[in-house]
Amino acid sequence: MSDSRIVGLSDGKIGLMVLLLSVNPSIRPSAQTVADLTLRLSAMTAVSGYEQAVTDSLVALLPGSAKDRAGNVVLTLGRGAPKRLAVCPLDEPGYVVGNITDDGYLTLRRVGRSPNAPPPPAPPPPPWALFDQQLEGHRVTLFGRKGPVPGVVAVRSTHLQRGRPAAAEQPFTVDDAYVDVGAATRDEARALGLDVLTPVALTKRPLHYGTGLLAAPFAGRRAACAALAAAALGKPKTGGTVVVAFTVQSLQASDAGLNSVMRLLGPFAEVTVAGVPAKFPDTAVETVALADVETLMRRLVSWIGGGQ
Amino acid sequence: MIRRVQVSAALALLPLAVIPSFRRLSAQDSSRISEAQTVLSALVESYGVSGAEGPVRETVKRLLPAWARPETDSAGNLWVRLGQGDPLVVFVAHLDEIGFTVDSIRDDGSLVLRTRGGFFSSLFEGQAGLVHSARGDVAGIFLPRDSGFTRHNPPPVRVDVGASSRAAALALGVAAGSTVTMPKQYVRLAGTRATGRSFDDRVGDAAQILALRHLDRTKLKHAVIFIWSTREEIGLEGAGAAAAALGPTPRRVHAIDTFVSADSPLERRNFAVAPLGQGAVARATDNSAVTPPAYVDSLVAVAQARHIALQVGTTNGGNDGSTFTPYGVVDVALGWPLRYSHSPAEVVDLKDVASLADLVQAVAEIW
Repeated sequence: MSDSRIVGLSDGKIGLMVLLLSVNPSIRPSAQTVADLTLRLSAMTAVSGYEQAVTDSLVALLPGSAKDRAGNVVLTLGRGAPKRLAVCPLDEPGYVVGNITDDGYLTLRRVGRSPNAPPPPAPPPPPWALFDQQLEGHRVTLFGRKGPVPGVVAVRSTHLQRGRPAAAEQPFTVDDAYVDVGAATRDEARALGLDVLTPVALTKRPLHYGTGLLAAPFAGRRAACAALAAAALGKPKTGGTVVVAFTVQSLQASDAGLNSVMRLLGPFAEVTVAGVPAKFPDTAVETVALADVETLMRRLVSWIGGGQ
Repeated sequence: MIRRVQVSAALALLPLAVIPSFRRLSAQDSSRISEAQTVLSALVESYGVSGAEGPVRETVKRLLPAWARPETDSAGNLWVRLGQGDPLVVFVAHLDEIGFTVDSIRDDGSLVLRTRGGFFSSLFEGQAGLVHSARGDVAGIFLPRDSGFTRHNPPPVRVDVGASSRAAALALGVAAGSTVTMPKQYVRLAGTRATGRSFDDRVGDAAQILALRHLDRTKLKHAVIFIWSTREEIGLEGAGAAAAALGPTPRRVHAIDTFVSADSPLERRNFAVAPLGQGAVARATDNSAVTPPAYVDSLVAVAQARHIALQVGTTNGGNDGSTFTPYGVVDVALGWPLRYSHSPAEVVDLKDVASLADLVQAVAEIW
């Protein structure tokens, strides 16, 4: 996918946006800014290793930022010593197409691990056992070469199970998933721009509820990145050099994104990882309080300025 | 102020990245498919759990042809009468959808639910929720379980509307008896396929509306009543009231309801195999009624006379027409193939919707 199509802009519009932000170097980050950013980033998908749509959008949003060779979005603020790092992992566990059947269904393989899991080989937290089950009978989006394609994951019809022995009690797993995009043959699916390795995720529709609560898959991670982006957008006064990094591939293999930043731009005197408390982790309704996101943003502004 | 505008301008560019270009999928539609989609999408995006079908009923009224004079009976069924003389023929499609009602509100503000209709509650667990209160819709979430992670089925699901106490939930307008669903959207898939929740039985509703729009009232040889019924999912209650009101007067009743199809990678194919995209289906035998074989033959003849695609099969489930059979009325149920019934991701083929509408029209006009 080309950059311009991913963000839905022509190159000229991107240039105009960057110019608007560049001529006002001291935009004050507000609660509304960080709330808007949290909503927008929560609606986006960044399967580990396939984060391009989000990283392209962050580069377009943050003047002076660029992608490094690993795909991380990096922005350097200030100069001199000490050199410090503020980082936010932006990827999420998800799926890629593993195969396409003769009759046009797509099967999946999972990519990435629970963001809430301790480092391997420690087992993931118990709710992770139901991560794949959230696909069953729900909408997914496939990020194909011709653009996003809607699909659903097949589920047994309630009516046809009546009078038959009860279905297995084991949770639904990725191996049970057949994605139906409306294609009747493999060629029809491919004509939509879909093929092996096409990224797939639950269709995201972030939900505001209660007082200042936002629910979405991986809302905590996206909220943390929104807080860091909002803090950086404000171009706060910097104590020494601060590298702001939105890292990729944190949940697959060896945390390649963060390790690249550390080796290519380090050493750092201090590292802070942006994080927001979240309820119902690893579910489609992971919930953050927008007040917590604003608090994090202000803490990051202070940290960038040299505070703790 | 200027700064805020500029930041907003920058942020406004971001969501474009996630607006899918789904519209192209419907660019080549014929006028029939396009009309079917327009009617069906409006119905699918209306909410109406059994017993609270008001919004769907209003949508049906809005979509009817201008000449129609709909009447609502005491059971909430919507009736449109046309034609004169014997025999009286009735068509019935149901308005309601599966979901929940609020049974009670706990001290912590979470909502205890009661199911309305049959479905897998795992499909709601950990999803966005919508409470339909007297003061409007209230957003919430179906709470994920906090134990039992090695089992497919969850304990009874509850809803959190972000209230920390019963009083706070009540202050939002939520009350015992409020109905609960999840947000839904009609979405076009590839070709002529579409997905959404509550195609069962909004496709039946749509087929009746489309038939009424296109049928030639001067061709009718007898009286016809179209009914959009209530509370089908909890025991065919609305249709039962209509059947009792009409007694033995009708000659035939045509339930226009889902043919749950085994055209799916997960289903056994020993029955209910009606492929999507190959037309309407004569729901000749289900769990509630059997259409006499001679009537199935007559139906096939009607379809052939009008060159309408028709499949014949047997599936599971009950249909509204079965409430008429104790009065001596013959139930000739018609449907269309549906994948993934009673799930948030039901799938239909719009060609089948158009085929079903044509068949309803033909049956009214020439049988």
